[in-house]
Amino acid sequence: MLIDLIRRYLIFSIFLTCCGCSLPFVEKGPVEPITISGVLNGRTVLSGSVEMTGDLLIPAGSELIIRAGTTITVVPSESTKIDPEYLSSQTELLVRGRLLVEGEPDNMVNFVPRIGEPTDEPLWAGIILDGADNSEVRHASLWKPDTGLLIIDTSPRVIGNWINRARYGIVVQGGAAKILDNVIADGEGGVFCWDGTTAYLKGNRIVDNEEEGIVVSRDSRPYLDRNRVSGNSIGLIVPADLPYDPTRIAGNGQDIRLLVEKAKP
Amino acid sequence: MRCLLLASLLLLLSIPVRAETVYRDEQTLWQDTVWQGDVLVDGILTVAPGVTLEIRPGTTVRFTRNDSNGDRIGEHELFIQGILQAHGTGEEPILFTSAESEPHPGDWGAINMMASNGENLLEHCRIEYGYRGFHAHFASARLAESTFRYNRRGAQFQESTVDIVDCRFVDNFNGLQFRDSTVTISRSLVSGGYWGIRCVYTTLHLFDTEVTDNMINGVNLRDSEVTVQRCRIAHNRRGLYLQRTQSDVSDNTIESNSEHGIFLEDSDGSIARNRVAGNGRAGFRVIDSPVSIVDNNIVGNDEYGLINDGESDLDIRGNWWGTSDVEALQALLRDGRDRSGVGIVRLLDPLSEARF
Repeated sequence: MLIDLIRRYLIFSIFLTCCGCSLPFVEKGPVEPITISGVLNGRTVLSGSVEMTGDLLIPAGSELIIRAGTTITVVPSESTKIDPEYLSSQTELLVRGRLLVEGEPDNMVNFVPRIGEPTDEPLWAGIILDGADNSEVRHASLWKPDTGLLIIDTSPRVIGNWINRARYGIVVQGGAAKILDNVIADGEGGVFCWDGTTAYLKGNRIVDNEEEGIVVSRDSRPYLDRNRVSGNSIGLIVPADLPYDPTRIAGNGQDIRLLVEKAKP
Repeated sequence: MRCLLLASLLLLLSIPVRAETVYRDEQTLWQDTVWQGDVLVDGILTVAPGVTLEIRPGTTVRFTRNDSNGDRIGEHELFIQGILQAHGTGEEPILFTSAESEPHPGDWGAINMMASNGENLLEHCRIEYGYRGFHAHFASARLAESTFRYNRRGAQFQESTVDIVDCRFVDNFNGLQFRDSTVTISRSLVSGGYWGIRCVYTTLHLFDTEVTDNMINGVNLRDSEVTVQRCRIAHNRRGLYLQRTQSDVSDNTIESNSEHGIFLEDSDGSIARNRVAGNGRAGFRVIDSPVSIVDNNIVGNDEYGLINDGESDLDIRGNWWGTSDVEALQALLRDGRDRSGVGIVRLLDPLSEARF
């Protein structure tokens, strides 16, 4: 009986290998709830209900896949460890490998912080893509992060996400991210393009944030196309010489502020 | 068989062999030792208390990579309980580096000092590909004219007294990180990391130093005392971020940081005669910090000159804001007039022109 089982497993393994699949990955789910934190080496697939009890690092060369419909409950912390070189004092998902969030419009991936004492402060750090090659975040809902997505020196595809009540919706530092059809609402600031990024922002709805909708630093050259920016304190802050599509930027305290040449010393 | 042996012998003879001192596994230096030439540390080498390790100019010290727990941090290192005297020269610096053919930050541990309170010195050294280039607990040291690059942390120390002069911390993940220490940094460069300088419970004197191009914060202190004079803090995400810190910040240029030039949170002290210019969201962001902000040039910041996000009102006296027009001055502020729950800012005696 045992030999028969082993034989079947081996045959199945060979079959999968021939099909281009590989068995040795960690499939976490649908047994509920799974707790997860620390460094995830190799290939990890999450589905179902997952509790993120501390910082989570996907190191370079490793991969995290989050299936549609997954709910990740984040346990807040103000003093998470900083080794090996985490970037926030709050609970964070830090990706230096590859992240695939495979939400669908009607079956989103949900990141929900566990709620303790009522507070206006962000409850978790958010998702950090730090040189995370070839990553994609689709149809995720992120609630009350410090920074929904912090994208550093990489060019992921960020499509169809909902980021609510963030201090910073999306921060892009360098790289050429594709940021398409996201909703960033009810937070402090929307999208920040810094450090020479050439990100492509199209079809996003950036609404009802207390401060800025989209901010572009003087050294950045993003492509801004058909973004709806309204209900923010300042809608769009851009270098005066950057082309942008103004058609859906309306209803902000100040719609557009152009950055003119710096004051001389 | 003979042919095979002969071929092997010829192959061996064709490989250039460098004579080097090799330390394998865990060893301890029990008597004063001098290094010159090439040294390979293939383990953890301890310098015992009372023992001095002297390293002469032109020496290369290489560390093999050994990551026993898979955390991508090499463990081979120098562990110094005695004294380290690394005397390089401008012409013949000392190199501490990885022995790997394709080196990476974190290949080896650190020049690690523990309870070493003698005359420790690294002069004209280059330290690269370590987890922490220089690391100290309960120690004192002087780092002079040395370069720390491609380390996960350029230098890190706790409960130590460290004097850093004419050094370069470039392209490390974090430049310098310390706690419960007394640190003086002069005429140095901290650039190209995530955090430039990050510390808590520390007394820091920062003079004539450039802190530039760091992705998170240039200089970040919490629960500390800091003097910052004649420095340039530029092109970081935040320039100078002080949390619960007593400060004396004068005669600096703090410019072109993406977010805030100076961010003060529950901090106190004096900020005078600085040029705070061309920063992204604001020159200053202040949260409940009764600081004195006097005689500064606060000009050309993209969104605001000053944001008050604290509940307290702020009286700011005698600064040049780039304009004397009352309406234009008010537009440079964001305070309780713009949003409820925060204090207002009163600009008292604004200057009519820059004083420097």
